[in-house]
Amino acid sequence: MIDLQGYGPRLLEGALVTIELALLSLVVAIFLGLLTASAKMSRSWLLHKIGTLYTTVIRGVPDLVLMLLLFFGGQIGINMVTDWLYDRFGIDIFININEFVAGVITIGLIFGAYMGETFRGAFLAVDSGQIEAGRAYGMSEALMFRRIRFPQMMRHALPGLSNNWMVLLKTTALVSIIGLTDMVRVAAEASKATHEPFTFLIPVAVIYLLIASVSEWIFARLQKRYNVGFGEADEWNN
Amino acid sequence: MVDTPLPLEVRNLKKRFGSNEVLKGLSLQAHQGDVITLIGASGSGKSTFLRCMNLLEQPNEGELIVHGETIRFKETRHGREPADWQQVVNMRAKLSMVFQNFNLWAHMTLLENVIEAPVHVLKKPRKEAIEHGRALLDRVGLLERADYYPMQMSGGQQQRGAIARALAMDPEVMLFDEPTSALDPELVGDVLKVMRDLAKEGRTMIVVTHEMAFAKDVSSQVMYLHQGMVEEAGPPAEVLGNPRSERLKQFLAPKH
Ligand SMILES: Nc1ncnc2c1ncn2[C@@H]1O[C@H](COP(=O)(O)OP(=O)(O)O)[C@@H](O)[C@H]1O
Ligand SMILES: [Mg+2]
Repeated sequence: MIDLQGYGPRLLEGALVTIELALLSLVVAIFLGLLTASAKMSRSWLLHKIGTLYTTVIRGVPDLVLMLLLFFGGQIGINMVTDWLYDRFGIDIFININEFVAGVITIGLIFGAYMGETFRGAFLAVDSGQIEAGRAYGMSEALMFRRIRFPQMMRHALPGLSNNWMVLLKTTALVSIIGLTDMVRVAAEASKATHEPFTFLIPVAVIYLLIASVSEWIFARLQKRYNVGFGEADEWNN
Repeated sequence: MVDTPLPLEVRNLKKRFGSNEVLKGLSLQAHQGDVITLIGASGSGKSTFLRCMNLLEQPNEGELIVHGETIRFKETRHGREPADWQQVVNMRAKLSMVFQNFNLWAHMTLLENVIEAPVHVLKKPRKEAIEHGRALLDRVGLLERADYYPMQMSGGQQQRGAIARALAMDPEVMLFDEPTSALDPELVGDVLKVMRDLAKEGRTMIVVTHEMAFAKDVSSQVMYLHQGMVEEAGPPAEVLGNPRSERLKQFLAPKH
Protein backbone atom coordinates (compact mmCIF):
# COMPACT_ATOMS: atom_id res chain seq x y z
CA MET A 1 0.00 0.00 0.00
CA ILE A 2 0.97 3.60 -0.58
CA ASP A 3 2.11 5.46 2.51
CA LEU A 4 -0.12 8.52 2.74
CA GLN A 5 2.12 9.91 5.49
CA GLY A 6 -0.74 10.71 7.82
CA TYR A 7 -2.75 12.59 5.19
CA GLY A 8 -5.18 9.67 4.70
CA PRO A 9 -8.02 10.93 6.94
CA ARG A 10 -7.82 14.47 5.56
CA LEU A 11 -7.86 13.13 2.02
CA LEU A 12 -10.99 11.14 2.81
CA GLU A 13 -12.62 14.17 4.35
CA GLY A 14 -11.72 16.08 1.21
CA ALA A 15 -13.28 13.34 -0.90
CA LEU A 16 -16.49 13.63 1.12
CA VAL A 17 -16.52 17.39 0.54
CA THR A 18 -16.13 16.78 -3.19
CA ILE A 19 -19.00 14.29 -3.25
CA GLU A 20 -21.33 16.42 -1.13
CA LEU A 21 -20.52 19.49 -3.16
CA ALA A 22 -21.11 17.68 -6.43
CA LEU A 23 -24.41 16.12 -5.35
CA LEU A 24 -25.85 19.30 -3.88
CA SER A 25 -24.74 21.28 -6.93
CA LEU A 26 -26.45 18.69 -9.10
CA VAL A 27 -29.71 19.16 -7.22
CA VAL A 28 -29.50 22.94 -7.63
CA ALA A 29 -28.56 22.57 -11.31
CA ILE A 30 -31.47 20.20 -12.05
CA PHE A 31 -33.89 22.53 -10.29
CA LEU A 32 -32.59 25.59 -12.15
CA GLY A 33 -32.46 23.60 -15.37
CA LEU A 34 -36.13 22.66 -15.13
CA LEU A 35 -37.01 26.27 -14.33
CA THR A 36 -34.95 27.57 -17.25
CA ALA A 37 -36.43 25.06 -19.67
CA SER A 38 -39.95 26.02 -18.55
CA ALA A 39 -39.14 29.73 -18.85
CA LYS A 40 -37.78 29.29 -22.34
CA MET A 41 -40.82 27.28 -23.43
CA SER A 42 -43.36 29.58 -21.79
CA ARG A 43 -45.40 31.97 -23.86
CA SER A 44 -44.41 34.88 -21.63
CA TRP A 45 -42.01 37.13 -23.51
CA LEU A 46 -40.28 38.25 -20.31
CA LEU A 47 -39.63 34.75 -18.93
CA HIS A 48 -38.30 33.72 -22.31
CA LYS A 49 -35.86 36.66 -22.35
CA ILE A 50 -34.70 35.98 -18.79
CA GLY A 51 -34.05 32.32 -19.60
CA THR A 52 -32.10 33.22 -22.73
CA LEU A 53 -30.05 35.88 -20.95
CA TYR A 54 -29.13 33.44 -18.19
CA THR A 55 -27.94 30.68 -20.51
CA THR A 56 -26.09 33.11 -22.78
CA VAL A 57 -24.17 34.71 -19.91
CA ILE A 58 -23.27 31.42 -18.25
CA ARG A 59 -22.13 29.82 -21.48
CA GLY A 60 -20.07 32.81 -22.51
CA VAL A 61 -18.07 33.35 -19.31
CA PRO A 62 -15.42 30.91 -17.99
CA ASP A 63 -16.49 28.90 -14.94
CA LEU A 64 -13.55 30.16 -12.91
CA VAL A 65 -14.38 33.79 -13.57
CA LEU A 66 -18.01 33.17 -12.62
CA MET A 67 -16.98 31.49 -9.41
CA LEU A 68 -14.65 34.34 -8.35
CA LEU A 69 -17.23 36.90 -9.40
CA LEU A 70 -19.99 35.26 -7.37
CA PHE A 71 -17.81 34.61 -4.34
CA PHE A 72 -16.06 37.98 -4.02
CA GLY A 73 -18.70 40.01 -5.81
CA GLY A 74 -21.39 38.32 -3.75
CA GLN A 75 -19.54 39.15 -0.52
CA ILE A 76 -19.16 42.79 -1.56
CA GLY A 77 -22.85 42.94 -2.44
CA ILE A 78 -23.87 41.50 0.91
CA ASN A 79 -21.52 43.87 2.76
CA MET A 80 -23.09 46.80 0.95
CA VAL A 81 -26.51 45.69 2.06
CA THR A 82 -25.49 45.12 5.69
CA ASP A 83 -23.60 48.46 5.80
CA TRP A 84 -26.68 50.21 4.49
CA LEU A 85 -28.85 48.48 7.05
CA TYR A 86 -26.44 49.65 9.80
CA ASP A 87 -26.33 53.25 8.56
CA ARG A 88 -30.03 53.57 8.02
CA PHE A 89 -31.52 51.52 10.82
CA GLY A 90 -28.66 50.72 13.14
CA ILE A 91 -29.18 47.04 12.49
CA ASP A 92 -25.83 45.37 13.01
CA ILE A 93 -25.47 42.06 11.24
CA PHE A 94 -22.51 40.42 9.61
CA ILE A 95 -22.90 37.76 6.96
CA ASN A 96 -19.89 35.89 5.73
CA ILE A 97 -20.35 33.87 2.58
CA ASN A 98 -19.68 30.30 3.47
CA GLU A 99 -17.29 28.74 0.94
CA PHE A 100 -19.28 25.53 0.70
CA VAL A 101 -22.56 27.31 0.08
CA ALA A 102 -20.88 29.63 -2.40
CA GLY A 103 -19.47 26.62 -4.21
CA VAL A 104 -22.84 24.87 -4.41
CA ILE A 105 -24.58 28.00 -5.65
CA THR A 106 -21.94 28.80 -8.25
CA ILE A 107 -21.64 25.31 -9.65
CA GLY A 108 -25.41 24.88 -9.51
CA LEU A 109 -25.85 28.16 -11.35
CA ILE A 110 -23.34 27.24 -14.05
CA PHE A 111 -24.72 23.79 -14.70
CA GLY A 112 -28.33 24.92 -14.36
CA ALA A 113 -27.81 26.73 -17.65
CA TYR A 114 -26.50 23.62 -19.38
CA MET A 115 -29.21 21.45 -17.84
CA GLY A 116 -31.77 23.98 -19.07
CA GLU A 117 -30.73 23.33 -22.65
CA THR A 118 -30.74 19.57 -22.10
CA PHE A 119 -34.20 19.61 -20.54
CA ARG A 120 -35.63 21.95 -23.14
CA GLY A 121 -34.59 19.69 -25.99
CA ALA A 122 -35.90 16.67 -24.09
CA PHE A 123 -39.29 18.24 -23.37
CA LEU A 124 -39.67 19.26 -27.00
CA ALA A 125 -38.95 15.68 -28.07
CA VAL A 126 -42.03 14.35 -26.24
CA ASP A 127 -44.81 13.42 -28.68
CA SER A 128 -47.33 16.26 -28.67
CA GLY A 129 -50.20 13.88 -29.40
CA GLN A 130 -49.66 12.17 -26.05
CA ILE A 131 -49.64 15.52 -24.26
CA GLU A 132 -52.86 16.38 -26.03
CA ALA A 133 -54.37 13.09 -24.90
CA GLY A 134 -53.54 14.05 -21.31
CA ARG A 135 -55.20 17.40 -21.78
CA ALA A 136 -58.25 15.81 -23.41
CA TYR A 137 -58.66 13.48 -20.43
CA GLY A 138 -58.90 16.33 -17.96
CA MET A 139 -55.34 16.35 -16.64
CA SER A 140 -54.10 19.62 -15.17
CA GLU A 141 -50.73 20.96 -16.35
CA ALA A 142 -49.13 19.86 -13.07
CA LEU A 143 -50.52 16.33 -13.33
CA MET A 144 -49.42 16.08 -16.95
CA PHE A 145 -45.94 17.20 -15.98
CA ARG A 146 -45.67 14.53 -13.32
CA ARG A 147 -47.31 11.66 -15.15
CA ILE A 148 -46.45 12.24 -18.82
CA ARG A 149 -44.01 15.02 -19.66
CA PHE A 150 -41.41 14.25 -17.01
CA PRO A 151 -41.24 10.45 -17.37
CA GLN A 152 -41.17 10.70 -21.17
CA MET A 153 -38.69 13.56 -21.24
CA MET A 154 -36.18 11.74 -19.04
CA ARG A 155 -35.25 9.23 -21.68
CA HIS A 156 -34.19 12.06 -23.98
CA ALA A 157 -32.51 14.05 -21.19
CA LEU A 158 -30.44 11.31 -19.54
CA PRO A 159 -27.54 11.22 -22.02
CA GLY A 160 -27.08 15.00 -21.68
CA LEU A 161 -27.67 14.85 -17.94
CA SER A 162 -25.00 12.22 -17.58
CA ASN A 163 -22.49 14.29 -19.58
CA ASN A 164 -23.24 17.39 -17.55
CA TRP A 165 -22.82 15.47 -14.33
CA MET A 166 -19.38 14.17 -15.33
CA VAL A 167 -18.21 17.69 -16.21
CA LEU A 168 -19.79 19.06 -13.03
CA LEU A 169 -17.94 16.50 -10.95
CA LYS A 170 -14.62 17.65 -12.35
CA THR A 171 -15.57 21.31 -12.04
CA THR A 172 -15.83 20.92 -8.26
CA ALA A 173 -12.01 20.93 -8.24
CA LEU A 174 -12.22 24.68 -8.91
CA VAL A 175 -13.60 25.39 -5.43
CA SER A 176 -10.15 25.11 -3.85
CA ILE A 177 -9.63 28.57 -5.41
CA ILE A 178 -12.18 30.10 -3.06
CA GLY A 179 -10.63 28.32 -0.11
CA LEU A 180 -12.74 25.21 0.21
CA THR A 181 -10.83 22.12 1.27
CA ASP A 182 -11.89 19.48 -1.20
CA MET A 183 -9.73 16.46 -1.93
CA VAL A 184 -7.77 18.27 -4.65
CA ARG A 185 -6.69 20.95 -2.21
CA VAL A 186 -5.68 18.38 0.41
CA ALA A 187 -3.63 16.54 -2.20
CA ALA A 188 -2.00 19.76 -3.39
CA GLU A 189 -1.04 20.74 0.16
CA ALA A 190 0.29 17.29 0.94
CA SER A 191 2.30 17.20 -2.29
CA LYS A 192 3.91 20.54 -1.47
CA ALA A 193 4.77 19.50 2.08
CA THR A 194 6.18 16.08 1.23
CA HIS A 195 7.51 16.67 -2.32
CA GLU A 196 5.77 13.43 -3.34
CA PRO A 197 2.98 14.56 -5.69
CA PHE A 198 2.19 11.11 -7.11
CA THR A 199 1.53 9.64 -3.68
CA PHE A 200 -1.44 11.96 -3.33
CA LEU A 201 -2.57 12.83 -6.83
CA ILE A 202 -2.88 9.24 -8.02
CA PRO A 203 -5.32 8.30 -5.23
CA VAL A 204 -7.28 11.47 -6.02
CA ALA A 205 -7.48 10.50 -9.70
CA VAL A 206 -8.59 7.00 -8.70
CA ILE A 207 -11.35 8.39 -6.45
CA TYR A 208 -12.65 10.58 -9.30
CA LEU A 209 -12.65 7.57 -11.59
CA LEU A 210 -14.48 5.53 -8.99
CA ILE A 211 -17.20 8.14 -8.60
CA ALA A 212 -17.46 8.38 -12.37
CA SER A 213 -17.85 4.60 -12.74
CA VAL A 214 -20.54 4.39 -10.10
CA SER A 215 -22.35 7.30 -11.77
CA GLU A 216 -22.19 5.61 -15.13
CA TRP A 217 -23.70 2.48 -13.68
CA ILE A 218 -26.51 4.49 -12.09
CA PHE A 219 -27.19 6.39 -15.31
CA ALA A 220 -27.31 3.14 -17.28
CA ARG A 221 -29.92 1.83 -14.85
CA LEU A 222 -31.94 5.03 -15.13
CA GLN A 223 -31.76 4.95 -18.91
CA LYS A 224 -33.11 1.44 -18.88
CA ARG A 225 -35.87 2.43 -16.48
CA TYR A 226 -37.03 5.36 -18.63
CA ASN A 227 -36.75 3.44 -21.89
CA VAL A 228 -39.49 1.06 -20.82
CA GLY A 229 -42.15 1.08 -23.51
CA PHE A 230 -39.75 2.48 -26.11
CA GLY A 231 -37.15 -0.29 -25.94
CA GLU A 232 -35.46 -2.17 -28.73
CA ALA A 233 -37.69 -4.19 -31.01
CA ASP A 234 -35.72 -7.42 -30.46
CA GLU A 235 -36.95 -7.63 -26.87
CA TRP A 236 -40.45 -7.69 -28.22
CA ASN A 237 -40.64 -10.37 -30.83
CA ASN A 238 -43.96 -11.80 -29.90
CA MET B 1 -88.58 12.56 -22.58
CA VAL B 2 -88.43 14.35 -19.25
CA ASP B 3 -86.25 17.40 -18.75
CA THR B 4 -82.82 15.79 -18.68
CA PRO B 5 -80.14 18.11 -20.01
CA LEU B 6 -78.59 17.33 -23.37
CA PRO B 7 -75.22 15.60 -23.10
CA LEU B 8 -73.74 18.20 -25.45
CA GLU B 9 -74.91 21.29 -27.19
CA VAL B 10 -72.91 23.69 -29.35
CA ARG B 11 -74.32 27.02 -30.48
CA ASN B 12 -73.00 29.14 -33.30
CA LEU B 13 -69.36 28.23 -32.86
CA LYS B 14 -66.74 30.21 -34.74
CA LYS B 15 -63.02 29.63 -34.93
CA ARG B 16 -60.27 31.63 -36.62
CA PHE B 17 -56.61 30.80 -37.05
CA GLY B 18 -55.12 34.24 -37.53
CA SER B 19 -57.29 35.82 -40.18
CA ASN B 20 -58.38 32.46 -41.57
CA GLU B 21 -61.92 31.70 -40.37
CA VAL B 22 -62.19 27.92 -40.45
CA LEU B 23 -65.48 27.46 -38.57
CA LYS B 24 -68.18 29.91 -39.52
CA GLY B 25 -70.94 29.40 -37.01
CA LEU B 26 -71.61 25.72 -36.33
CA SER B 27 -74.31 24.35 -34.07
CA LEU B 28 -75.04 20.86 -32.88
CA GLN B 29 -77.34 19.14 -30.42
CA ALA B 30 -76.47 15.68 -29.18
CA HIS B 31 -79.28 13.86 -27.40
CA GLN B 32 -78.68 10.84 -25.23
CA GLY B 33 -77.78 7.93 -27.52
CA ASP B 34 -77.22 10.02 -30.64
CA VAL B 35 -74.46 9.13 -33.04
CA ILE B 36 -73.60 12.21 -35.05
CA THR B 37 -71.17 11.72 -37.89
CA LEU B 38 -69.25 14.62 -39.38
CA ILE B 39 -68.24 14.18 -42.98
CA GLY B 40 -66.59 16.52 -45.45
CA ALA B 41 -63.51 17.04 -47.55
CA SER B 42 -60.09 17.35 -45.97
CA GLY B 43 -59.66 20.86 -44.58
CA SER B 44 -63.39 21.48 -44.20
CA GLY B 45 -62.97 21.93 -40.42
CA LYS B 46 -64.15 18.58 -39.02
CA SER B 47 -61.22 18.06 -36.65
CA THR B 48 -61.20 21.68 -35.54
CA PHE B 49 -64.92 21.47 -34.76
CA LEU B 50 -64.41 18.32 -32.70
CA ARG B 51 -61.38 19.81 -30.92
CA CYS B 52 -63.36 22.93 -30.03
CA MET B 53 -65.94 20.74 -28.29
CA ASN B 54 -63.48 19.78 -25.55
CA LEU B 55 -61.52 23.02 -25.86
CA LEU B 56 -58.31 21.57 -27.23
CA GLU B 57 -58.83 24.56 -29.51
CA GLN B 58 -60.33 27.76 -28.16
CA PRO B 59 -63.36 28.90 -30.17
CA ASN B 60 -63.51 32.64 -30.86
CA GLU B 61 -67.28 32.77 -30.56
CA GLY B 62 -70.12 30.52 -29.62
CA GLU B 63 -71.55 28.61 -26.72
CA LEU B 64 -70.70 25.21 -25.37
CA ILE B 65 -73.11 23.46 -23.02
CA VAL B 66 -72.09 20.14 -21.53
CA HIS B 67 -74.79 18.27 -19.67
CA GLY B 68 -76.65 21.50 -19.00
CA GLU B 69 -73.59 23.41 -17.84
CA THR B 70 -72.56 26.39 -19.93
CA ILE B 71 -68.79 26.82 -20.23
CA ARG B 72 -67.78 30.31 -19.16
CA PHE B 73 -65.30 32.34 -21.18
CA LYS B 74 -63.39 35.57 -20.63
CA GLU B 75 -61.45 37.87 -22.92
CA THR B 76 -57.69 38.03 -22.37
CA ARG B 77 -54.90 39.58 -24.38
CA HIS B 78 -54.30 36.11 -25.88
CA GLY B 79 -57.91 36.08 -27.04
CA ARG B 80 -60.96 34.35 -25.65
CA GLU B 81 -60.17 31.80 -22.97
CA PRO B 82 -62.14 29.70 -20.50
CA ALA B 83 -62.85 31.70 -17.37
CA ASP B 84 -62.53 28.71 -15.08
CA TRP B 85 -60.05 25.98 -15.96
CA GLN B 86 -61.42 23.71 -13.28
CA GLN B 87 -64.73 23.78 -15.11
CA VAL B 88 -62.91 22.80 -18.31
CA VAL B 89 -61.14 19.95 -16.55
CA ASN B 90 -64.47 18.65 -15.21
CA MET B 91 -66.01 19.04 -18.63
CA ARG B 92 -63.19 17.18 -20.37
CA ALA B 93 -63.58 14.33 -17.95
CA LYS B 94 -67.15 13.96 -19.27
CA LEU B 95 -66.16 13.96 -22.94
CA SER B 96 -63.54 11.45 -23.89
CA MET B 97 -61.69 11.61 -27.13
CA VAL B 98 -60.35 8.95 -29.45
CA PHE B 99 -57.62 10.23 -31.78
CA GLN B 100 -56.61 9.33 -35.30
CA ASN B 101 -53.13 8.40 -34.07
CA PHE B 102 -54.37 6.66 -30.91
CA ASN B 103 -52.07 8.74 -28.66
CA LEU B 104 -51.77 6.07 -26.02
CA TRP B 105 -49.09 6.95 -23.47
CA ALA B 106 -46.04 5.05 -24.62
CA HIS B 107 -44.40 4.67 -21.21
CA MET B 108 -47.41 2.92 -19.69
CA THR B 109 -48.82 -0.53 -20.29
CA LEU B 110 -52.23 -0.81 -21.86
CA LEU B 111 -53.91 -1.35 -18.49
CA GLU B 112 -51.99 1.57 -16.99
CA ASN B 113 -53.21 3.73 -19.88
CA VAL B 114 -56.78 2.73 -19.18
CA ILE B 115 -56.70 3.43 -15.43
CA GLU B 116 -54.55 6.59 -15.59
CA ALA B 117 -57.24 9.25 -15.86
CA PRO B 118 -59.83 7.42 -13.72
CA VAL B 119 -57.28 7.18 -10.89
CA HIS B 120 -55.57 10.56 -11.21
CA VAL B 121 -58.34 12.76 -12.60
CA LEU B 122 -61.53 11.15 -11.30
CA LYS B 123 -59.77 9.96 -8.09
CA LYS B 124 -61.28 6.53 -8.40
CA PRO B 125 -59.79 3.91 -6.04
CA ARG B 126 -57.02 2.10 -7.88
CA LYS B 127 -58.39 -1.37 -7.27
CA GLU B 128 -61.79 -0.46 -8.62
CA ALA B 129 -60.21 1.22 -11.65
CA ILE B 130 -58.18 -1.89 -12.40
CA GLU B 131 -61.24 -4.13 -12.21
CA HIS B 132 -63.23 -1.83 -14.46
CA GLY B 133 -60.25 -1.42 -16.78
CA ARG B 134 -59.77 -5.14 -17.18
CA ALA B 135 -63.47 -5.62 -17.94
CA LEU B 136 -63.22 -2.94 -20.64
CA LEU B 137 -60.13 -4.52 -22.14
CA ASP B 138 -62.00 -7.79 -22.24
CA ARG B 139 -64.82 -6.04 -24.07
CA VAL B 140 -62.56 -4.76 -26.82
CA GLY B 141 -60.84 -8.13 -27.04
CA LEU B 142 -57.53 -7.09 -25.50
CA LEU B 143 -57.48 -8.58 -22.03
CA GLU B 144 -54.45 -10.71 -22.79
CA ARG B 145 -52.62 -7.56 -23.94
CA ALA B 146 -53.19 -5.71 -20.64
CA ASP B 147 -49.49 -5.68 -19.74
CA TYR B 148 -48.19 -4.83 -23.20
CA TYR B 149 -46.83 -1.42 -24.07
CA PRO B 150 -48.50 0.45 -26.95
CA MET B 151 -45.50 0.05 -29.23
CA GLN B 152 -45.78 -3.71 -28.85
CA MET B 153 -49.25 -3.71 -30.39
CA SER B 154 -50.69 -3.28 -33.87
CA GLY B 155 -52.48 -0.07 -34.82
CA GLY B 156 -55.87 -1.75 -34.59
CA GLN B 157 -55.10 -3.05 -31.11
CA GLN B 158 -53.84 0.37 -30.03
CA GLN B 159 -57.03 2.01 -31.26
CA ARG B 160 -59.24 -0.51 -29.49
CA GLY B 161 -57.12 0.09 -26.39
CA ALA B 162 -57.66 3.82 -26.83
CA ILE B 163 -61.41 3.20 -26.97
CA ALA B 164 -61.17 1.24 -23.72
CA ARG B 165 -59.26 4.20 -22.22
CA ALA B 166 -62.09 6.50 -23.33
CA LEU B 167 -64.77 4.20 -21.89
CA ALA B 168 -62.98 4.02 -18.56
CA MET B 169 -64.03 7.63 -17.93
CA ASP B 170 -67.73 6.68 -18.12
CA PRO B 171 -68.08 9.58 -20.53
CA GLU B 172 -71.29 11.42 -21.35
CA VAL B 173 -70.13 11.80 -24.92
CA MET B 174 -67.35 10.14 -26.92
CA LEU B 175 -65.54 12.14 -29.58
CA PHE B 176 -63.85 10.22 -32.41
CA ASP B 177 -61.52 11.94 -34.88
CA GLU B 178 -61.07 9.66 -37.88
CA PRO B 179 -60.41 6.66 -35.67
CA THR B 180 -59.71 4.28 -38.53
CA SER B 181 -57.80 6.54 -40.93
CA ALA B 182 -54.33 5.59 -39.70
CA LEU B 183 -55.04 1.85 -39.81
CA ASP B 184 -54.14 -0.78 -42.37
CA PRO B 185 -57.34 -1.76 -44.21
CA GLU B 186 -57.47 -5.23 -42.67
CA LEU B 187 -57.51 -3.72 -39.16
CA VAL B 188 -60.33 -1.23 -39.75
CA GLY B 189 -63.11 -3.80 -39.30
CA ASP B 190 -62.29 -4.69 -35.69
CA VAL B 191 -62.33 -1.05 -34.63
CA LEU B 192 -65.58 -0.30 -36.46
CA LYS B 193 -67.13 -3.36 -34.86
CA VAL B 194 -66.33 -2.02 -31.40
CA MET B 195 -67.80 1.36 -32.36
CA ARG B 196 -70.98 -0.22 -33.73
CA ASP B 197 -71.42 -2.08 -30.44
CA LEU B 198 -71.02 1.16 -28.53
CA ALA B 199 -73.67 2.82 -30.67
CA LYS B 200 -75.98 -0.12 -30.13
CA GLU B 201 -75.71 0.11 -26.36
CA GLY B 202 -76.79 3.75 -26.53
CA ARG B 203 -73.53 5.67 -26.21
CA THR B 204 -73.66 9.27 -27.32
CA MET B 205 -70.97 9.66 -29.95
CA ILE B 206 -69.68 12.29 -32.32
CA VAL B 207 -67.62 10.74 -35.05
CA VAL B 208 -65.51 12.31 -37.77
CA THR B 209 -65.14 9.63 -40.39
CA HIS B 210 -64.69 8.73 -44.02
CA GLU B 211 -66.36 5.35 -43.51
CA MET B 212 -69.64 5.97 -45.32
CA ALA B 213 -71.06 2.54 -44.55
CA PHE B 214 -70.58 3.21 -40.87
CA ALA B 215 -72.16 6.66 -41.19
CA LYS B 216 -75.10 5.21 -43.04
CA ASP B 217 -75.81 2.27 -40.71
CA VAL B 218 -75.01 3.73 -37.35
CA SER B 219 -75.63 7.46 -37.23
CA SER B 220 -78.75 9.19 -36.10
CA GLN B 221 -77.56 12.34 -37.82
CA VAL B 222 -75.03 13.17 -40.51
CA MET B 223 -73.49 16.61 -40.90
CA TYR B 224 -71.71 17.46 -44.12
CA LEU B 225 -69.24 20.30 -43.63
CA HIS B 226 -67.87 22.48 -46.37
CA GLN B 227 -65.40 25.28 -45.65
CA GLY B 228 -66.43 25.56 -42.03
CA MET B 229 -70.16 25.58 -42.64
CA VAL B 230 -72.84 22.90 -42.47
CA GLU B 231 -73.91 22.34 -46.05
CA GLU B 232 -76.37 19.54 -45.32
CA ALA B 233 -77.47 17.82 -42.16
CA GLY B 234 -80.11 15.30 -41.22
CA PRO B 235 -80.80 11.58 -40.92
CA PRO B 236 -78.40 9.43 -42.96
CA ALA B 237 -81.12 8.21 -45.29
CA GLU B 238 -81.71 11.81 -46.37
CA VAL B 239 -78.21 13.21 -46.40
CA LEU B 240 -76.43 10.16 -47.77
CA GLY B 241 -79.34 8.53 -49.61
CA ASN B 242 -80.71 11.64 -51.23
CA PRO B 243 -78.13 14.43 -51.25
CA ARG B 244 -79.39 17.78 -52.50
CA SER B 245 -76.28 19.83 -53.15
CA GLU B 246 -74.11 19.14 -56.16
CA ARG B 247 -71.04 19.26 -53.92
CA LEU B 248 -72.27 16.54 -51.58
CA LYS B 249 -73.25 14.38 -54.58
CA GLN B 250 -69.71 14.79 -55.87
CA PHE B 251 -68.30 14.01 -52.43
CA LEU B 252 -70.34 10.82 -52.12
CA ALA B 253 -69.77 9.63 -55.68
CA PRO B 254 -67.64 6.48 -55.82
CA LYS B 255 -64.03 7.49 -56.48
CA HIS B 256 -62.39 6.71 -59.87
N1 LIG C 1 -53.41 24.75 -35.54
C1 LIG C 1 -53.79 25.30 -36.73
N2 LIG C 1 -53.24 26.46 -37.14
C2 LIG C 1 -53.62 27.02 -38.31
N3 LIG C 1 -54.52 26.51 -39.14
C3 LIG C 1 -55.10 25.35 -38.79
C4 LIG C 1 -54.76 24.68 -37.58
N4 LIG C 1 -55.50 23.54 -37.48
C5 LIG C 1 -56.26 23.50 -38.60
N5 LIG C 1 -56.03 24.58 -39.39
C6 LIG C 1 -56.70 24.89 -40.66
O1 LIG C 1 -58.09 24.82 -40.45
C7 LIG C 1 -58.73 24.24 -41.56
C8 LIG C 1 -59.56 23.05 -41.10
O2 LIG C 1 -58.70 22.03 -40.67
P1 LIG C 1 -59.21 20.68 -40.02
O3 LIG C 1 -60.18 21.00 -38.98
O4 LIG C 1 -58.03 19.88 -39.66
O5 LIG C 1 -59.96 20.00 -41.26
P2 LIG C 1 -60.41 18.49 -41.45
O6 LIG C 1 -60.28 17.77 -40.16
O7 LIG C 1 -61.81 18.60 -41.94
O8 LIG C 1 -59.52 17.92 -42.50
C9 LIG C 1 -57.65 23.86 -42.55
O9 LIG C 1 -57.59 24.87 -43.52
C10 LIG C 1 -56.40 23.85 -41.72
O10 LIG C 1 -55.29 24.20 -42.49
MG1 LIG D 1 -59.08 16.07 -39.61
